Amino acid sequence: MTAYILRRLLATIPVMIVVALFVFFLLHLTPGDPAAVIAGDDATPAEIEGVRRKLGLDRPVWEQFGVYVMNLLRGDLGTSIFSNMPVMTLVMQRLEPTLVLAIATLTVAVAFAIPMGVVAAWKADTSVDRVVMGFSVLGFAVPVFLVGYILIYIFSIQLRWLPVQGYRPLSGGIEGTLRSITLPAFALGMTYMALIARITRASMLEVLSEDYIRTARAKGVATPSVLLRHALKNAAIPIVTVIGIGFALLISGVVITETVFNIPGLGRLTVDAILKRDYPIIQGLIILFAGAKVLVNLLIDISYTFFDPRIRQ
Amino acid sequence: MATMTAGPTAATARSPAKGALTWARRNKTIVGGTLILLALVVIAVLAPWLAGDPLQFEPTNRLKRPSETFWFGTDQFGRDVYSRVVYGTRISLIIGLCVAVLATFIGLVVGVLCGFYKTVDTILMRLMDGMMAIPAILLAIALITLMKASLFIVIIAISIPEIPRVARLVRSVVLSVRGRPYIEAAISSGTRNWRIMVRHILPNTVAPLIVQATYVCASAILTEAGLSFLGAGTPPEIPSWGNVISLGRTFFQIAPWIIFFPGLCLAITVLAINLVGDGLRDTLDPRISRRM
Amino acid sequence: MTSTTSKAAAAPAALNDETILSVRDLRTHFYTRDGVVRAVDGVTFDLARGETLCIVGESGCGKSVTALSILGLIPPKAGKIVGGSIRFDGTELTTESESTMRRIRGNRISMIFQEPMTSLNPVLTVGEQISESLRIHQRLDRRAAWDRAIEMLALVRIADPKRRAGEYPHQLSGGMRQRVMIAMALACNPQVLVADEPTTALDVTIQAQILNLMLELKDRLGTAIILITHDLGVVAETAQRVIVMYAGRMVEEAPVAELLSHPKHPYTRGLIGSIPRRKPGAPRGRTRGRLQEISGLVPSLREAIPGCAFAPRCGFATARCTTEQPPFEAHGPRHYAACWEVARVEAKSLSEPVGSEA
Repeated sequence: MTAYILRRLLATIPVMIVVALFVFFLLHLTPGDPAAVIAGDDATPAEIEGVRRKLGLDRPVWEQFGVYVMNLLRGDLGTSIFSNMPVMTLVMQRLEPTLVLAIATLTVAVAFAIPMGVVAAWKADTSVDRVVMGFSVLGFAVPVFLVGYILIYIFSIQLRWLPVQGYRPLSGGIEGTLRSITLPAFALGMTYMALIARITRASMLEVLSEDYIRTARAKGVATPSVLLRHALKNAAIPIVTVIGIGFALLISGVVITETVFNIPGLGRLTVDAILKRDYPIIQGLIILFAGAKVLVNLLIDISYTFFDPRIRQ
Repeated sequence: MATMTAGPTAATARSPAKGALTWARRNKTIVGGTLILLALVVIAVLAPWLAGDPLQFEPTNRLKRPSETFWFGTDQFGRDVYSRVVYGTRISLIIGLCVAVLATFIGLVVGVLCGFYKTVDTILMRLMDGMMAIPAILLAIALITLMKASLFIVIIAISIPEIPRVARLVRSVVLSVRGRPYIEAAISSGTRNWRIMVRHILPNTVAPLIVQATYVCASAILTEAGLSFLGAGTPPEIPSWGNVISLGRTFFQIAPWIIFFPGLCLAITVLAINLVGDGLRDTLDPRISRRM
Repeated sequence: MTSTTSKAAAAPAALNDETILSVRDLRTHFYTRDGVVRAVDGVTFDLARGETLCIVGESGCGKSVTALSILGLIPPKAGKIVGGSIRFDGTELTTESESTMRRIRGNRISMIFQEPMTSLNPVLTVGEQISESLRIHQRLDRRAAWDRAIEMLALVRIADPKRRAGEYPHQLSGGMRQRVMIAMALACNPQVLVADEPTTALDVTIQAQILNLMLELKDRLGTAIILITHDLGVVAETAQRVIVMYAGRMVEEAPVAELLSHPKHPYTRGLIGSIPRRKPGAPRGRTRGRLQEISGLVPSLREAIPGCAFAPRCGFATARCTTEQPPFEAHGPRHYAACWEVARVEAKSLSEPVGSEA
């Protein structure tokens, strides 16, 4: 089992190296003059030159690469072109809302989707099943921002239950944070929920037709126990795998959700960087988000050992 | 004895028309999705006849509610949201189609190469793994930040993150087909690689690729809308749905229709494509339904 | 017609204290897209306490469905029991509630399945799987159930039961897994054990071990066994009484020695004729291969079969056989068969083929 975890851990290293190389060469292999593009249409040659110097594009590629790698290894994600602040500092300032939003979304999605999928599989081909499947098909189609604005319209503007937009930091009390994060979490979680519910249903359906489920029923095991103890644990691996795949969706969605709900997190940092074409920030965020995704997938790989004794050896 | 076996055979023999009807009934999702898509294509083609000028400013008509003159209301510049949404159909469909074709084609090439040549496989698959670790929208944002915004660049930027998924799918199909005895026999008897690819391997990738292409198409349309919404997509002067929605952001509380109608169209389009994709997946290749 | 009594008339006499399970005219249908499948179409038998009854037939003849019907395990959306009765120790099972059935399953009637490889839950230890029924039915606490599970593993002769109890199914061999299945089935001392092809998936050497283990435990615990098999070799070694099924119907029933030496139904004859070890001196080619001598296929169960289901494949068939269903009647002491032509069948020597094309 330690060997398995170690192997998974080692497998993440080449992935991160490729990510780092990819964003580096993206800047250098992009056709045209990135410095000119970043500086904007009405920039003077001097301004373009300034951007070029800040991006390090005035030095030879191999030298830039060395500096880039050394910085990365020291945990330095680069420096913003416009604010001259280290990207790491900017990230730290904006980390809390995004982290809270991600955890809340994950919780909401899993808490709703798995019961939905289990019930749909158990009641396959009934109206309950069709409602769940209908929801999951819709969840894939309706864009995050539409869900977000509809939720704001219903729950904040019409019913006035929850704040319209904005984020209350944890330091101001957990209740305010939860109230401010509820709608964003549901908006962001919709697609995720659809994904998890769908795979839970499919995986459960497959498991429920297995011989050992019949064995359990022949032993006199009651339905709830058949579903949860005997079936769900066997169905878990595809489900947690999809939770990992969906994490990428979540990251893409975070950027949009934070814009819809005006949450000052990493997503907003991204949007601000887009508007100013502040490439170092985007580059740093890519490495960071890719790292987060790789980490989540590592955790999921490790969780397999918990669900399947066959992987433990 | 004859009476015993004749029963079920007679029952399955149907006239072609009846057969088509039965097929349609059993594949409601494909039929429904295709009908919606056809309607959207008609709207896109006939846009100039169905709607007014999507770019025309009417400062006197700012932020008008949906009415008989302005079916979907007007935006803060007094532009007709309905006209913009109708023209937006064109942008979304073009982007969806182009990205699907481009990503599928490049993914197919990469996947086949990886499935066939060990060294290429190790290098390209590493690259693909790394690319897949980067959230699609961020990768697209990075590309767009570095290049001058245009429809073409957006299509490229959305296509690139979709390639690894297609490549992996193709690679897995190639590897599984390669292992089959008749391919091994062909290889060992000295048949040229490209012949094996064209005659034996490519036909096996068609069904899963078509299904995958529909999902790429749906995802591309959503990504473009997301990018435009964030201000990193199609140039703002082009009336794409994402751009329309993006402009509606600031006035959401007083003019929700600017966001609602293009958002709804987006959802319907993606829904229709997904319905076709799900239906095709179930009929063409039951194996992927499990993989997903 | 000779002096024959129908089974239905003779049946009540057989009902006494010794009968633990009594199945009457059981009909189980499945509903598919292409129509109704009459998987079990009128099955009647009694099982005495401690008895071993074998049900024999080709795959798809309704053996397993009969077993699942007894335990009330027919998947509700796929099919259901549409007629007949199953009385178990004074309780009518076909109309019993799901919660009562749950209390009977695994406790008073147990079942062993064909595939030990797939019939155990891969993510639970064998100890957990055995103790589960003890915890459900005997309300033992975790500890006591676990200890009892280890005892059961010892009883089915698994070496080092303490360690094995903590292992997962994939760590055990096929034979060991089937032993675990037996331990699980017998944990609550059931009165009836239904074993559906328990040895089919195992190596020949292991088959005998498992069968002997089952018979030995049956004697020790007084459990009645319904053993479902397609293998007449297994029947000869284990059964006291045999039922032969064909296309969802019973075609013959007799004590094992009687059935094997004096089969009355052409189908039974065909089955016996297809055992390789019989007919010493016959040319090898004719005796090898299972069911080689019964030509044709099992009929579709989707349509009602008016006559005898075996008629299309039967060398003895007459016009009447295809139009009128033969009654299941006594043709000797405790020997029943459903055939219009028993007299002609008996007149022929056992070594002659029964196939219609022969």
